[in-house]
Formats: sequence, structure tokens, C-alpha cells
Amino acid sequence: MPPIIEAEHLTKFYPPKTKAVEDVSFSVDEGEVFGFLGPNGAGKTTTIKMLTTLASITSGKAKVAGFDVAHDPSAVRRSIGVVPQELTADDELKGNENLVLAAKLHHVPRSEVPGRVKDLLKLFDLEEAANRRVRTFSGGMRRRLQMAMGLVHSPKVMFLDEPTLGLDVQTRTKVWDYITRLNHDRGLTVFMTTHYLEEADGLCDRIAIIDHGAIKVSDSPAHLKEKFGGDVLSISMSGDTDLSEFLRTVPDVSDVTREGRVYKMKLPRTERALPVIIEGVTSRGLAITEISFSRPKLDDVFLEVTGRSMREDEGGGQDSWVQNLNLERQAS
Amino acid sequence: MFDDLSALTGRALRKWIRNPAAVLPGFFTALFYLALFGNSFNPTSLIPSNMGGFQLTPAELLSIKSSILTQTFQGAATYISYLTAGIICLILVFNMAFGGIDLVLDRQLGFLSTLLTAPISRGSIYFSGVAQNMIKAMSLAFLTFLIAILLPDGLILGKGFGVLNFIGIFGAFALLAFGLSCVFTALALSVRAIDSLVAIVNFATFPLVFTSTALFPGAGFPSWLLAISNENPITKATDSARLLMVNGVLSSSQLSTLEWDIAYLVVFAAVMAIVGYIAARKALAPV
Repeated sequence: MPPIIEAEHLTKFYPPKTKAVEDVSFSVDEGEVFGFLGPNGAGKTTTIKMLTTLASITSGKAKVAGFDVAHDPSAVRRSIGVVPQELTADDELKGNENLVLAAKLHHVPRSEVPGRVKDLLKLFDLEEAANRRVRTFSGGMRRRLQMAMGLVHSPKVMFLDEPTLGLDVQTRTKVWDYITRLNHDRGLTVFMTTHYLEEADGLCDRIAIIDHGAIKVSDSPAHLKEKFGGDVLSISMSGDTDLSEFLRTVPDVSDVTREGRVYKMKLPRTERALPVIIEGVTSRGLAITEISFSRPKLDDVFLEVTGRSMREDEGGGQDSWVQNLNLERQAS
Repeated sequence: MFDDLSALTGRALRKWIRNPAAVLPGFFTALFYLALFGNSFNPTSLIPSNMGGFQLTPAELLSIKSSILTQTFQGAATYISYLTAGIICLILVFNMAFGGIDLVLDRQLGFLSTLLTAPISRGSIYFSGVAQNMIKAMSLAFLTFLIAILLPDGLILGKGFGVLNFIGIFGAFALLAFGLSCVFTALALSVRAIDSLVAIVNFATFPLVFTSTALFPGAGFPSWLLAISNENPITKATDSARLLMVNGVLSSSQLSTLEWDIAYLVVFAAVMAIVGYIAARKALAPV
């Protein structure tokens, strides 16, 4: 199956000398949830803008749903749904009016509009609020409405720019649930940026980390963690016999340290090495009294790749009353 | 394109109607402009009843006032009859000029980006901006016309005033509104901040208004100002509407003047539409 998003050597240059994106190449398969991560100013939004026809491409090529972004932007726009970071649903219109407007602007056949609006209101649990003006909505409801608006024309690809920015944990989890359901039930391809690494970890089939306008790594979260992190295993022994030498011989185990009867080591996957370790320990007449391990997080990968943690980068971006207004809308 | 245009214009008008804070001030502005300017600018109110010890009778005073209105104010029966067309043009100019604020807000709040990722023509975004401002401003123009008629000593329409006069008056207003809306909508789509829009609009509107015959008759202008005023579209719209309001039936020379003024306004509207469309397309193109 051909990829539904293809970016080849994408470069975006803003005069006089800002290179926002440089030689970025990646592809997203149909039905995938693809996460685009990176610090503020790394080039995430510029890449999304190019793919959604909002920004011109300085050099390189991009195709979305089989259409060339530069040469056939109208066809691309018909195939995509975009949920921007800002809450753009109209405050003065009612929930269902916003959806009808979105349907009209995406040329949904008039006879199908009421049915689709009804379905989406149900899908996003907004039926009761459908006839209320959006200014009375909470931040989570606005975000859900925004997602519904992005889906009203049944796009092939959904672009989500920071879909859970500013939401509380409970609402964020709900949004994750919607994304998962859309992906599983409708086979929707999702291209998302996020600041929350646990979100990317839980939702995305694959992620790419972009920094300084270039993609640093791209793979599934599990492979990236395996490649850049690995589990940290801690075991306590019943006796004083030094097992360091033995542990160092176990395949994939590294960085073995000993503190009394407690050994710590790094290994790519605990479940693969653990049986070998247990067998080696018991064959030496010892017993394991305590065992624990910690899985690596995407934070570790991010730190390794970009040289800084994601949290150091939070809070940047727009610095205007508009951002404050958006945050107020999200918080309300 | 028509569906996109109607969807976007419908959105703007729905918001406008639902927001009393946006509708009511328009009504009061029309009332205040007519009541305040109609009295404070009225030069006939400055004529004293006692001139150098010579006491004028009320009939004489009325006759002098009427004579001034006839000679200087194009035969208007009352000063408000003269002023109404100008006040309506003033309302049109300011509504068009500041109507673009909503578009700047749409850009700042991200709604414009949402539109730009939808499969709609860029022209529909531009012309919906033009249409919504026109509809709002023309509604206020009509309201002002009604208020002027209802005011004491207000607008007295010329003898023989009919449907064609009405169509002509609002046709002239619509052409002016359309031309101005094209320019100011393109401007609003081109700027990124409300401050910039307000600064440019303030810079542009006051010279436009005060070099026109909206508030003062051109007869009192120095020749250089008269030359500028004669080419000002506000003058053309004001004079056309005033002619049709004050004189119910037009003489052949008045009709000829009217035809030229309307033709001028048609060209003005067409040129502004083309210029505005080109500017708007540039402003809405991917950067």
C-alpha cells in the first residue's frame, strides 16, 4: 500500500535567512497514527503548514492522499481535516451551527449534512450542548467540537496540531480515546504534533523527532526506546557471592553495577534476558529476593536526540494576547 | 463559489444580528449624527432675527433661511434634507473602513487558517468580507434614511419622489459601499494586527471625508479643494443621492449630472473590485 503522506527533501526558507525546515523526508502509511515531535521552533508547525497547503514549499516535494501539495492544493484540501492548535470554532455560533458551517465549507452534500452533524455530535458526546453557543463551552468541549469540525467531510488524513494543549488530564485522556477510536473504527490516518511525550507514546504507531528543522530519528516508540534507552533492571540476591562477572556475560546486558547484594544493569528488553539471569543465579545456589525494572520513556529518547528535555521547551511560541485568549477559551 | 460565499456571509451576519452591542450603536450613531450635525452644523441657525437694529419678522427670517438653503444647499427644504445623504455616506465610509477588524481577528484567532485549509475559493473569502460589510452598512444606511424622515425638521423628500429615486439613491450608496468595501477588505486581509488596520484607516478616512461634499457644499471650497472633491467618490455618491432626495423630479441637466456621477461610481466600484481581488489573493496565498 503506498504511503498516504510522502515528504521528500522538504525545505522551507523564510527570507532573509531563516531556514525553518531543511531537507525533511518521511512517509506515513494509510491508517497510521504518526507523531511529529520536537521542541518549539523545531519546524513542526511549518511542516504541517506545508502539508496542509498553508505554507509554500521552498524546495522538495510533498504528496498527501496521492495529490501533490504544490500543484494540486485543492485536491489535498478535499482530502484532509485540520484541527489547529488554536480553538477556531466560532464563539457566537452554536455547536451544531459550527459543524454545519464546516460541512458547507467542505462541500458536503446538503442532504448528508444533518446526518453527519448528528453522528459527530454523538461521537464526541456533544449532543446536549449542540444548541448552546460555543462561548458557553468548556475547553474540553471546544476541543472536541474542533475535532468534530475537522471530521465532518470524512477526510482521509487528519492533521492534529497539539490536540490536547491546555486540557486537564481527564479531558486529555478522553481526547486520546477519541483519536484511538477514529483510527481503529474508521481507519483514519492521523498526523499529530504534541508536546506530551506520553501522549505520543500511547497513541502513535510511529513518531519522528524534528529539531533545528531536520528529522533526527523516526521509528515506532518501542523501537526508539529500545534503541536509545533500554530497561534498567534491579535484582537483590540472597547471598554475598559476586555475580557481576556472570551478569556481564548475559547477552545484551550492560552497565552492571553492584551495591552490596543489589545489582543494577541496563538491557534492551528485560523479558528476553530475565530467564537467563534467573537460571544463572539459581544454578549458583543463590536466590533472587527482590526484582524490579523500569521501562525507558520517550523523554529519555527525546533528551538523547535533542540534547534537552521536552519540558524545558514548554511555554514558548505565541506571546500575545491572542494566545492568552486561546488559553482562556481552553480553560473556560 | 456562491455556496461558499453564502456560508461565510451567513456566519458573519448571524454573529452580527446576535450581538446587540454591534447593532445598537449603529442605530444611535445614525441618530446622533443627524441630530447633532443637523443642528450644530446648520448655518441657517446662525442668522439672527435682529440684524443691525433691524428686527426681522418670523416670515422674513424663514424666507432668508429658505433662500440660503435653496441657493447654497441645492434647494433642500431643511438642513437635514441636505445633510442626510452626506451623513449616510459618512456612516458607509466608517463602517466599511472598520468592518475589516473582524477579518483581522479571524486571522489572529486562526479561523482564517481553517478557511485556507478548506477546499473553498480564495475569492469567496474575499467577497464574503465585502458582502458582509456591505449588508451591515447598507442596513444602517436605510435605518439612517428612515430616522432622517422621522426627525422633526428632518428629511423632506422632493416633490414627485418615487421608487426610481429610492433605487437611484441606494444604488449610489451601494456602489460607493462596494468600492470602499473592496479596498478595505483587501487591506484587512493584508495586515496582521488590528493596530495597523486602525492606523491606516484613520489616515485614509478623514481626508476622504473632508475633501468631499458629505458635510459641506462644494460651493464654499477653495478651487484646489473643489478639484479634489470633484474626483472623490464620496462626493459623487453624496451628490447623486442628494439630488434624488431633494429633487423628486430631475431636470435634464440634473439627470445628465446624475448619469455621469453614477457612471463614475460604477467604474470606481469595478476598479476597486479588481484591485482589491488581486491584493486579497496575494494576501491569502501561501507564504
